[in-house]
Amino acid sequence: MNQQLRHLQASTRRAFLAQSGINVGALGLASLLGDEVTARVPTPTSRPRAKAIIYLFMAGGPSQLELFDQKPLLGKMSGEKPPQSFLEGKRFAFLTGEERLLGPRRPFGIYGDSGAVLSNLLPHLRNVVDDLCFLKGMTTDVFNHGPAKLFLQTGSPQPGRPSMGSWITYGLGSEAHNLPGFVVLQSGPRGPRAGSALWASGFLPTTHQGVPFRSEGDAILNLRSPKHYDREGQRAFTDVVADLNQQRHDVIGDPEIRTRIAAYEMAYRMQISAPELMDLSSESQAVLDMYGAEPGKASFANNALMARRLVQRGVRFVQLYHTSWDQHGAKQSLEEELPLRCKQVDQASAALIKDLKQHGMLDETLVVWGGEFGRTPMGQQNEPSGRDHHVDAFTLWLAGGGIKPGITYGQTDDLGLSVVDQQVHVHDLQATLLHLMGIDHTQLTYRFQGRDFRLTDVHGTIVKDILA
Amino acid sequence: MPDDMNRYFLLATIGFGVSSACVAETVDFSSDVKPLLAQHCWKCHGPDESSREADLRLDDFSSVTADRGGYAVLVPGVAAESTILDRVRAHDEDERMPPTAAGRGLNEEEIRTLEAWINAGATFQQHWSFEPIRNPVPPLVADAGWSRNAIDRFVFARLLKLGLAPSPSAERATLIRRLYLDLLGLLPSPEAVAGFQRDDSSDAYESLVDSLLANPHFGERWGRYWLDQARYADSNGYTIDGPRVMWPYRNWVIDAFNRDQPFDMFTTQQLAGDLSPAPTLPELVATGFHRNTLINTEGGVKADQFRDEQVKDRVDTTGVVWMGLTVGCAKCHSHKYDPIQQDEYYALYAFFNSTQDNNSVEPIELVAEAESRQRWRDLQRRIQELKERIDEATPKLATDGDESAESTELQQWKSELSSLESARDELEDGHPLAMVLRELRPARQTHVQVRGDFLRPEALVTAGTPQALPTMLPSKEYDRRFFANWLMDKDHPLTARVRVNRIWMRLWGRGLVETENDFGVQGSLPSHPLLLDWLARDFQRDWSTKRLIRLIVTSSTYRQSSQWRAELAGVDPQNRWLSRQSRLRVEAEIVRDLALSASQLLTNTLGGPSVYPPQPDGVYAFTQVQREWPTDTGADRYRRGMYTFFFRSAPHPLMTTFDVPKFNQTCTCRDRSNTPLQSLTVANDEALFEMATGLAERVLREIPTDQIDADSHRLQRLFKICMARSMDTMEAERLHDYLVAEQIRLGPQATKRSVWTSIARVVMNLDEFITRE
Repeated sequence: MNQQLRHLQASTRRAFLAQSGINVGALGLASLLGDEVTARVPTPTSRPRAKAIIYLFMAGGPSQLELFDQKPLLGKMSGEKPPQSFLEGKRFAFLTGEERLLGPRRPFGIYGDSGAVLSNLLPHLRNVVDDLCFLKGMTTDVFNHGPAKLFLQTGSPQPGRPSMGSWITYGLGSEAHNLPGFVVLQSGPRGPRAGSALWASGFLPTTHQGVPFRSEGDAILNLRSPKHYDREGQRAFTDVVADLNQQRHDVIGDPEIRTRIAAYEMAYRMQISAPELMDLSSESQAVLDMYGAEPGKASFANNALMARRLVQRGVRFVQLYHTSWDQHGAKQSLEEELPLRCKQVDQASAALIKDLKQHGMLDETLVVWGGEFGRTPMGQQNEPSGRDHHVDAFTLWLAGGGIKPGITYGQTDDLGLSVVDQQVHVHDLQATLLHLMGIDHTQLTYRFQGRDFRLTDVHGTIVKDILA
Repeated sequence: MPDDMNRYFLLATIGFGVSSACVAETVDFSSDVKPLLAQHCWKCHGPDESSREADLRLDDFSSVTADRGGYAVLVPGVAAESTILDRVRAHDEDERMPPTAAGRGLNEEEIRTLEAWINAGATFQQHWSFEPIRNPVPPLVADAGWSRNAIDRFVFARLLKLGLAPSPSAERATLIRRLYLDLLGLLPSPEAVAGFQRDDSSDAYESLVDSLLANPHFGERWGRYWLDQARYADSNGYTIDGPRVMWPYRNWVIDAFNRDQPFDMFTTQQLAGDLSPAPTLPELVATGFHRNTLINTEGGVKADQFRDEQVKDRVDTTGVVWMGLTVGCAKCHSHKYDPIQQDEYYALYAFFNSTQDNNSVEPIELVAEAESRQRWRDLQRRIQELKERIDEATPKLATDGDESAESTELQQWKSELSSLESARDELEDGHPLAMVLRELRPARQTHVQVRGDFLRPEALVTAGTPQALPTMLPSKEYDRRFFANWLMDKDHPLTARVRVNRIWMRLWGRGLVETENDFGVQGSLPSHPLLLDWLARDFQRDWSTKRLIRLIVTSSTYRQSSQWRAELAGVDPQNRWLSRQSRLRVEAEIVRDLALSASQLLTNTLGGPSVYPPQPDGVYAFTQVQREWPTDTGADRYRRGMYTFFFRSAPHPLMTTFDVPKFNQTCTCRDRSNTPLQSLTVANDEALFEMATGLAERVLREIPTDQIDADSHRLQRLFKICMARSMDTMEAERLHDYLVAEQIRLGPQATKRSVWTSIARVVMNLDEFITRE
């Protein structure tokens, strides 16, 4: 594609329809827009195995050594200094060099037909382990929270690149009729570090940026009409705006005006449909109990259930953040804070898998669970204990759309310092997720400032062994 | 404007003798051959030595014609003997170039182009933007007096070639609104519109332009564009994103545009104001340009890593803003397309590598009169000295933590310190602290970084400019000041072209070079290369931005109507040839400003600290740190959009919804999206709704109820305030119907104010309201 054409594609107002994260439903607006509708037909480069992704991002970096990666030797050597050979060439955020190895703070067990190893902090997850694929050989490049999150979600530790959800809606469009294609949900004590750069569209058209849905009050900013404008009032407003815009279009001829008309119509529809979407009380008590969700109360459980409802309505990418997995010790300890965090997500994470299965959606929905990095086998000199950020080995799990269920892939050394087999780098994970959505990560590019950018930069290998 | 209409019809009757087809008969290297070599070949056979295959450069005449043992890749003038053609045509996959894995092969048309070029002698030219700026003479055109200045003659000549006529001039109401929006970002009052419509003097238009250029709001409108490039924000970025004081730099920018500071001085002060022989306060504040880089204050951060990021950002930003070059590409490897080697990137890096800031807010400068500044500096120095002395003395004494163990001397120091600090705080209370650049002596050493990784330093490099660009006379110091002077040298082929192009872009929505941030090989070619050069040379005469803008907006080309022309749909759908004006949705800040000026709520204050207009609840539900947003209730509630406090991690939603980036990096051109979230914002946002109410009150105030046909007059008035033009009958009818319907819907107890707010809200939500026609 030449530069001009590319530019045209990026800048034309038709972009709103053609490649939008807020894609217009095929029928409703077609008549309104006439020949302007050129809704993007997904053009997968490989057979898509999943239609949507739900990414459960555990912000802060959960400790794989207390949750997934059992290291008996670490327990035996607890209190000793790590062998020097393990540390050469490694940089850490806070460690001073004096730290000792810290044995796992939790007992582990073996669960399911697949014999998955899991600590006792995740009692609900053990019931679905046969649906999960554990990646225990994850590695990343950066060890500060903000940059590491950006790296996982945008492929670069610097802010400014498009997020994974933006890339995917840019590549595939969305099937959501009344909703954005890329939605962000958040729970936990605070917002994720790096903030909205995590779901920004970077240089892609802004229609692809993630739209944060808030869990309390109105889901979308400015969704509520001003006082005195009930549904009828808002309809009358939308109609007169449409008519006057149409009259202007008839005079001036700019197709942009028709896009504006469509945008107002979509805005109205979002106003009507979003409250219904956000109202969890329409779910059965059994479903609410399974998640531990309580309508009207902000929680990870509510968001997990919301994620399923969003995907049901055609949303392409749902990004959940649950924050404060940063257990350095003292107030943020492995003994006290980590169990709290696990309690907040364990039941609902397992429920999401079961629920998607019950709805027959798990086959086409890819679920990702994990943080931006792992934690060091060395403890920090804090009481109660904690661990530092670790980029050389951490665990993440996947489930659903196109993933081999009930397996563990990747192995770390006996102390959990480095990956010894089946390493999956962040760029490999990104390549694999795109592949499962039917996108070749080397082909999904965008020309910006003279260079073709992609989510995986110049790296990334699809992890074929974990594909179903 | 009847005179313009006459000209137009005259043109139409004369007709244009040139056929519309514009077929290239001879192959041009720059426009025909180079793009295909760049696309298909240079990745492996280009300027980057690290990825070069077969020791072959297809961007270099001597390499490509070298004897390779009895044959040459290319034999000038003899396509039949040039093996390159065999290779691109080969059926055997192992033979064919480019290799299948590297992309699609050349198609037959491309191969024929290559063949024709070889037969014509295979001359390589330098990429157009690296060639010296020419001194073209505006063509003489038989345009029946349509042209008003040189711009028009270039544009007309091009249209003539395509057999196209320019559009007629827009109506006066449209013109005055266009000028107000473009030059001030505010609406003309209905009185100003009427005055202009009545003015039949021959220079009515030019006088209007001059008065707008002299209006201080001009500095805000055009300063804001520059602030985009400076990646201005009021916070440090990254995860903590704490607030910072940057507005003194914003004041400086607004003032520089209002004073029409020549662009060469404007450049030198921002890049190297601290290096002038005796830097003045404004020169220091100007260096805030490169203090807009992010600072990471997260726990566990290593300053060296982020200082390196900041230096790289300064190099990349400077490259894009002044030269339209993506020098950043050469960070990890030599540029794949443009003549910038990796060591040349780090030679540029060396210019910026020796500033005192180290992922820190410091160095700072008190923005105050000379005397206070001197006092503040003395205080700073003495505080620093005392602190060091106290630090040195303390560990020896504080063994048991017994206060009495402190010597009286130490106690004296401590009390002196606290009084010095309160004296300093008092000074800082009344005056802002500007973040500035200061040179570090001795300078840091700069190394080439392996794959752009600062932990892998390689060869040592010294500051220098790329080979492909003109060299300058030797200097005593190769510092930022030298670099700024080098940029502004009249032989520099890029600076003036890039600047002129961006100013053009602001007034048309697109540049003469569409890829305004890439004048390199991968960028697009200029639509009007001679016009671009003429403008660049003209600009270099005095580097006056106002004169350049005046020249553009007084041209007939600019004054054209923006009406779509059906007959152009096939020929020029993107309006590349400028046969009409563009319709442009205004920027986020201007959406707010237009609503403010329609409602007359606008607070006119120029400059100053950032403010906190209302924003929807829940903006910070997603940020790490809950921000303080002390919503303004007084005059600051109604300041222009550009003064809204800008947190990079969570900008005001109006901004993000209307395509304002987060300014984590330079922004040379904004998106203009058109989304449902924008509709929700204009329709429902609390602040904008308040302005709709303000507009309703204004109309009720201006047209009293006892006036005959008060409602019709009010409708007309309201529409005119917003659009400058009068409503047509159909529009008036539809709006009147809505008025009646709203009266019924809201019921008899509804106030006039709320009914008319409905009307104002509708008009402010029309596409035309937020569009520059």
